[in-house]
Amino acid sequence: MADETLLEILKRRGISRRGFLKFCAATTSLLALPPSMAVAVADSLGRLKRPAVIWLSFQECTGCTESLTRAHSPSIESLIFDAISLDYHHTLQAASGHAAEEAREHSMKADWGKYLLIVDGSIPLKDGGAYSTIAGISNLQMLQEAAAGAAAIVAIGTCAAFGGLPHAQPNPTGAVAVSDIIKDKPIINVPGCPPVPAVMVGVLAHYLTFGSLPDLDDLGRPRAFYGESIHDRCYRRPFYDQGKFAKTFDDAGARDGWCLFELGCKGPTTHNACATTKWNGGTSWPVQSGHGCIGCSEPDFWDAGGFYKALSTPVDSVTGAAAAAVAVGAAAGVAIGIANRQRKAQARAEHQTVTIEDLEK
Amino acid sequence: MSAMELLLWARGPGLGIAVAIFLFGMTLRLFEIYSLGRKTDLAAPRSPTPGSGWRTVFSRSLPYQGTWHRSGLTVITGFVFHIGLFIVLLFLLPHIKLIHSLTGLSWPALPTSLVDLVTVLTLIALLVVLVHRLMDPVKRLLSGFGDYLAWAVTFLPLLTGYMAYHHLLLDYTLLLALHILSAELLLVVFPFTKLTHTFTLFIARWYNGDIAARKGVAS
Amino acid sequence: MSSLKDIGVHVVHVGGNGNARAVLREVENLLQKLVEKGEESSIDLSGLPLSAEDYDLLEETLGEGEVVAEVHSLGPTRIHETGVPGVWWVTHYNDEDEVLAEFIEVAWCPEILLAPEDDVKDGLEALRARLFELKQESNHG
Ligand code: SF4
Ligand code: SF4
Repeated sequence: MADETLLEILKRRGISRRGFLKFCAATTSLLALPPSMAVAVADSLGRLKRPAVIWLSFQECTGCTESLTRAHSPSIESLIFDAISLDYHHTLQAASGHAAEEAREHSMKADWGKYLLIVDGSIPLKDGGAYSTIAGISNLQMLQEAAAGAAAIVAIGTCAAFGGLPHAQPNPTGAVAVSDIIKDKPIINVPGCPPVPAVMVGVLAHYLTFGSLPDLDDLGRPRAFYGESIHDRCYRRPFYDQGKFAKTFDDAGARDGWCLFELGCKGPTTHNACATTKWNGGTSWPVQSGHGCIGCSEPDFWDAGGFYKALSTPVDSVTGAAAAAVAVGAAAGVAIGIANRQRKAQARAEHQTVTIEDLEK
Repeated sequence: MSAMELLLWARGPGLGIAVAIFLFGMTLRLFEIYSLGRKTDLAAPRSPTPGSGWRTVFSRSLPYQGTWHRSGLTVITGFVFHIGLFIVLLFLLPHIKLIHSLTGLSWPALPTSLVDLVTVLTLIALLVVLVHRLMDPVKRLLSGFGDYLAWAVTFLPLLTGYMAYHHLLLDYTLLLALHILSAELLLVVFPFTKLTHTFTLFIARWYNGDIAARKGVAS
Repeated sequence: MSSLKDIGVHVVHVGGNGNARAVLREVENLLQKLVEKGEESSIDLSGLPLSAEDYDLLEETLGEGEVVAEVHSLGPTRIHETGVPGVWWVTHYNDEDEVLAEFIEVAWCPEILLAPEDDVKDGLEALRARLFELKQESNHG
């Protein structure tokens, strides 16, 4: 069964070729590929073997899994998940404890070098990784072991991709991202807190469909979904350009849908698919419901100053430094002033007046 | 270091350092200048001086007929880029937000598209000024490293700001970081170059106006 | 008790962002290709930032044509020919009637309506088998 292609799986489930065509069209659209690629999608889906997937959860809040299980387009998603064999997922699997760990080790051995490793959550390094363990194994050790036999790694959520909340100052557990530890395997970062469900499914679908990594940006994010900033795709953008800004969350401007920059929107520096894909099956997205983007798909977004402070304002207060600088500057100025006066006085004192006698010498 | 980390550094520690150096330098400079002092003029003034110093502060902003004829280009480009800088710096919303968060002061912004236009004009004026400085033998002779440095640190924030707004060449996050860093460079260099004229010009003009009045040529 | 309606929400119409026109131009181009070279193509509507106004403008301009069809496979797919022959509006739904993907297809006939060759061959065999059975039944009867 493990050798079946996706097309065969679909056939076995009584899905006609028309259904397959539809599946390919929807997948192509989900992957943000041009419709002409549907043929290529169909072609590779017809050939691809069902890949094994191991999902590891480290320091995380399960929000990413929550988001994933709420993915829209259930039939497509369920088909994709039928097509992968999710061999190990803490939250979703029935087994637990040592039985679960055995299952993980078993499937790792069976598909060594071929499985896709999905990770959510960051990895604590401080104090020997004591802050998060599973069945007595530290997250660091488990990641290193699982990564060794993986074909590729998908870091789901900002914690796995960039460290996320656990990594926020002062980072008590010494949390780091997957890419900080694993250097020798291809890693796809799918950040977001949580990531948009359709994006997670889309990235997995891409891997399943083509068996290869999508085109990534310099932070390891698939360009198809993270290529553009929220600000560039924001429907409030015309107001930004006209200089019309809401000043509070309930003033006339806010009600008229004006730009949320002043209220702290981080859309200009955030790359994510929210503005086009939207949330909850295309119902709405944060900016549409009146709240600025908090930049959840970017590194260190927790430490990027207040969520409600405009992007152009300082992250930390500079008042202390400013006051100190003025004081030191004033003191130094006074000191130089005194020194100058002394020099003047000295010059005057040392000034030798020329007398008649001098000249007659 | 990613673009986002650079931006966070620029908006955090970088800004603190730049503001501190700027304030330290400027306070030092002003104290230094004031404490030099001048000898009291014991002669009776030829004409009454009150107001003459203040009037000069403003009247010197207008070019004399002669200057106008001799170097019209310098006068025009000078006006354009000074006024342009002033508008861009003080009337773009993100800048107002920054000033507000630093000082608590705030005022209405101009439409972004207008500021955008002004930026282009200012950039052009600054380029003309540079070319003229390089071509004109007298100006070239008079210019030293400090002058070109002052020009560069004024030009860069405008250029990076313009590029960031229009998403030219580089990613917005990186451009925004570079923009803030270039403005911070301006702040750092400010007290130690001729850029201090932003503040010292008022002192100098007042003194000149006042002394001229004492000698009988009140403005 | 105050009801939801009392909450002051002001609906503003931002107006179309001009993308409908761009899509219509694209349709024009694709249609010309179909006429001149017989090349079929389609536009994925889900990936485009179309405002409600844009969407309406698109639908209005293309209008309604003569053909309406529905395919039942993996949930319904609804297809109608627009007022411009050769331009088809194809919407794929899932079992819960949520839109999976939406395309404008420029073709003589949308691909999903054509009977796939392999399915036709399978059908032929199934029919022959059925006929054979019938013959057997009548022989015995
Ligand atoms: S609301 Fe945010 S993302 Fe939208 S235009 Fe304003 S600043 Fe940009
Ligand atoms: S709008 Fe911004 S903060 Fe909100 S989910 Fe999207 S990327 Fe994250």
